[in-house]
Amino acid sequence: MESIHNLINKIKAQEIDIVEHTYKLIEECKEINREYNYLNIISEELALNQAREIKVQLKQKNKNIKNKKLLGVAISVKDAICVKDVESAAGSKILQSYKPLFDAFVIQKVKEEGGIIIGKTSQDEFGFGGFSVNVGIGFKVPKNPFDMERSCGGSSGGAAGISQKLSNHVALGESTGGSIVEPASFCGVYGLCPTYGRVSRYGLIDFSNSLDKIGPMGKNIEDVALLMSVISGYDKNDSTSLNVKDDNYESYLKKPIKGMKIGIIKEAFGSGVEREVEKNVYNGIEELKEEGAKTEEISLELPIKYGIATYYMIATSEASTNLAKYCGMRYGASEKLEGSFNEYFTKARSNNFGDEAKRRIILGTFARMAGYRDAFYLKAMKVRTLMINEYKKAFKKFDALVSPTASILPPKFEDIEKLSPLQHYMIDVMTVSPNVAGLPHLNVPVGFEKNLPIGMLLIADHLQEGKLLQFGSAVEKGK
Amino acid sequence: MKHFTTDIVIGLEIHAELDTKTKLFCSCPTHGSEEPNTRTCEVCLGMPGSKPVLNKKAVEFALKLCLALNCEISPELIFSRKSYFYPDMAKNYQISQYEIPLGKNGSLKLREGKKVGITRVHMEEDPASLIHPAGMKESAYVLVDYNRSGNPLVEIVTEPELESPEEARDFMKQLITVLNYLEIFDINEGIIKADANVSIKESNYARVEIKNITGFKEIERALVYEVNRQKEEAKHHKKIEQETRAWDSENGVTFSLRKKETEEDYGYIIDTDLTIVDIEEKWLKEIKKEMPELAQDKVRKFVEKHKLKKEDAEILAAEKELAEMFEKVAEEINPVLAAKWLRRELVRVLNYNKKELHEAEIDEKHMIDLLKLVENKKITDNVAAKILEKLVEKPFDVKEYVKKEKLEAVSDIEELEKYCREAIGENPKAIEDYRKGEAKALNFIVGAVMKKTKGKATPKEVNEIILRMI
Repeated sequence: MESIHNLINKIKAQEIDIVEHTYKLIEECKEINREYNYLNIISEELALNQAREIKVQLKQKNKNIKNKKLLGVAISVKDAICVKDVESAAGSKILQSYKPLFDAFVIQKVKEEGGIIIGKTSQDEFGFGGFSVNVGIGFKVPKNPFDMERSCGGSSGGAAGISQKLSNHVALGESTGGSIVEPASFCGVYGLCPTYGRVSRYGLIDFSNSLDKIGPMGKNIEDVALLMSVISGYDKNDSTSLNVKDDNYESYLKKPIKGMKIGIIKEAFGSGVEREVEKNVYNGIEELKEEGAKTEEISLELPIKYGIATYYMIATSEASTNLAKYCGMRYGASEKLEGSFNEYFTKARSNNFGDEAKRRIILGTFARMAGYRDAFYLKAMKVRTLMINEYKKAFKKFDALVSPTASILPPKFEDIEKLSPLQHYMIDVMTVSPNVAGLPHLNVPVGFEKNLPIGMLLIADHLQEGKLLQFGSAVEKGK
Repeated sequence: MKHFTTDIVIGLEIHAELDTKTKLFCSCPTHGSEEPNTRTCEVCLGMPGSKPVLNKKAVEFALKLCLALNCEISPELIFSRKSYFYPDMAKNYQISQYEIPLGKNGSLKLREGKKVGITRVHMEEDPASLIHPAGMKESAYVLVDYNRSGNPLVEIVTEPELESPEEARDFMKQLITVLNYLEIFDINEGIIKADANVSIKESNYARVEIKNITGFKEIERALVYEVNRQKEEAKHHKKIEQETRAWDSENGVTFSLRKKETEEDYGYIIDTDLTIVDIEEKWLKEIKKEMPELAQDKVRKFVEKHKLKKEDAEILAAEKELAEMFEKVAEEINPVLAAKWLRRELVRVLNYNKKELHEAEIDEKHMIDLLKLVENKKITDNVAAKILEKLVEKPFDVKEYVKKEKLEAVSDIEELEKYCREAIGENPKAIEDYRKGEAKALNFIVGAVMKKTKGKATPKEVNEIILRMI
């Protein structure tokens, strides 16, 4: 498949009329969306204005225009990421009609580099889910590009789906506990979740501040590396942004992996993992071996055993405070003004949050109550430290760790309905731990089974996104 | 629980605004336009996706306070989210500190020397201000102004060691003095508020919390009212309930907000949007170097360098403006004379006018002009005191005024003798009485002379002349 680079070159050479190209893409989005519900909002006006501006600058032979890394590239944005003047609701009714007054840091970067914002992708409300079925009240559930009766995964389900369906496009996703790699796996695309702090969260509508990460998703690994090079970097407006030297992500692509070491996470295979999934992930590992990587099994008991519990404790505690600000008072949904402020806030929150949002608010509030904080929230913070230590030990020996991204094939909606909340949470078992530890991880599509895609999860040490891209491109090359 | 023995037990939680240029977590100005909701941005409005960035200057200010209050300083600054729903809260949580406050176990001395323990000093952001257009109880709606939202505050929590409303007032006063000396608080416009916990022996120390008392004068009023209320209730054998009350300054009463059986649960968690700040030794050293002279330093200096009595030095040092004025005046005027005039006369006139020195326009120049005339005996103490009263009301050029109003002391001996002769002639009865042995009668003659000179003579001199004449 053609990579974005070729498109950019054609746009720069004015072989493609950028306005016409964008118009066509928007029409294509509308067409796809009629059936698949990947976009909550198609930002047609913004996209066409950006395209016209680029066209003018190209005609005027503006000197800077040729240096723009994303010139004319369509970028979809997860709904939770703020785009100035474009409805940004994090998939929640409580933020419906909310148009941010400012661009998220990543959007500023994308715009600066000539990327064209085509719309806001569908997601679980505030990121609360693994199948994109927990969309907010009034929002539509995105459907798997390979089987409309199945899930896209989540929470960046719309981003993954449209990445599969729409060519000449890259997506901005967001992950708290696996929301980039898991939907990427279910939709057969690449998804890179960076090291916590590598990409500014400024302008990201918070789910869990110590876990949220914005990352690129796309059909080609080069495209993912390209978008990563645009969005990563220090931001003084995000206190948790890492002030480190930026990496040249694209330079890792196609770099040989001979002699590099990969640890196969023992606990991530075997019982609980679907046979087809396991088989294809092993195929992926074989491809890495063929390229010269050395593999060895490693036991990572703590992350697999306690990952889910730790993650849900921290994530719901933080989420319950982050969601407090939505009370129908300053922006978003509002209700008829009646009663005391307490009654009004209660009404606004009762009527506009979905069930899963309410569940997580209740769970998180409970975990931070006096008398429970020590047993739950503070304990989880300690386990997190232990998990990081265990990973760090592993990375002394290995360049990357590998597991399936999801233990199952994309499930049918009718089967998801039968899951209890806890079973639903278990879908994240492979992905929560690297998220809790703030480690970069990448989904690499490794094969198909029953016409459904399967993904392999690669995890690297902090700030080693380069290695992930290196391994990922080695698998892509092998295919 | 602590075992109390005193009649009244008071503990204070004081919030003081730090006088930084910008807010605690964004770059919006803390001063400027008073038009509601103009000094705001996405951060202090709590818009989705906005993130706080810590203002280091505010931390320095808070550290100065911790040092001045002899606190143990935490090696790390950690912020937490204090969750509760209220319309003045942009995010429905306040960024504050919980487990580990910036400073703890400090102390502050009251005027009489009593040391009051400081439990903790921590930093937090100010909520927005609520405006109740029809009064706090009656208004059907409130207006919210976010200009104040995100202003840096320090919270100072005392041990329950204050034993009277007067002590509470004095504590506030001493604290304001420290804040003022440190130049971290805007004495003219800065907001300082207290919540007071007050209980009395008669009720077995059932704790009542009074919210939102502004300024040190109000605290005494509110506490006097509340202590009396509790005593009255106890007298009638009513049970005093543990509750939270509000202070209605206009009507001079406290009223019940809510009864509370348990402590409120704010569900504190660490605010992971902010990173932990290391309070490094090096940083602390720099801050220590920048610390201005505090009241105790001034007292020592006034006693050693200016040879003042300790008591005078303490009164002068108790107020930064007064101490600074003294230091300037003492460069030109005999320090002992200057001290006497500043601590007695100036303070007396200010008290009479219910003004603080920083509120009056009088400055050291006026005092120097005035005291030069006193020092050189160009005007009498009496006249000088009268001029001072006028100066506090509205300043003017002292030298010109004295000339214009012909207030120079009558030092011409012949002129004085003339007045004395007249007075003796006009009051033969008094002279007779004096001669009969009634010593007081002489004062009457002296008074008559003083009247003639309009107070511009010194009574002692007049006395001597009259004695010579009769």
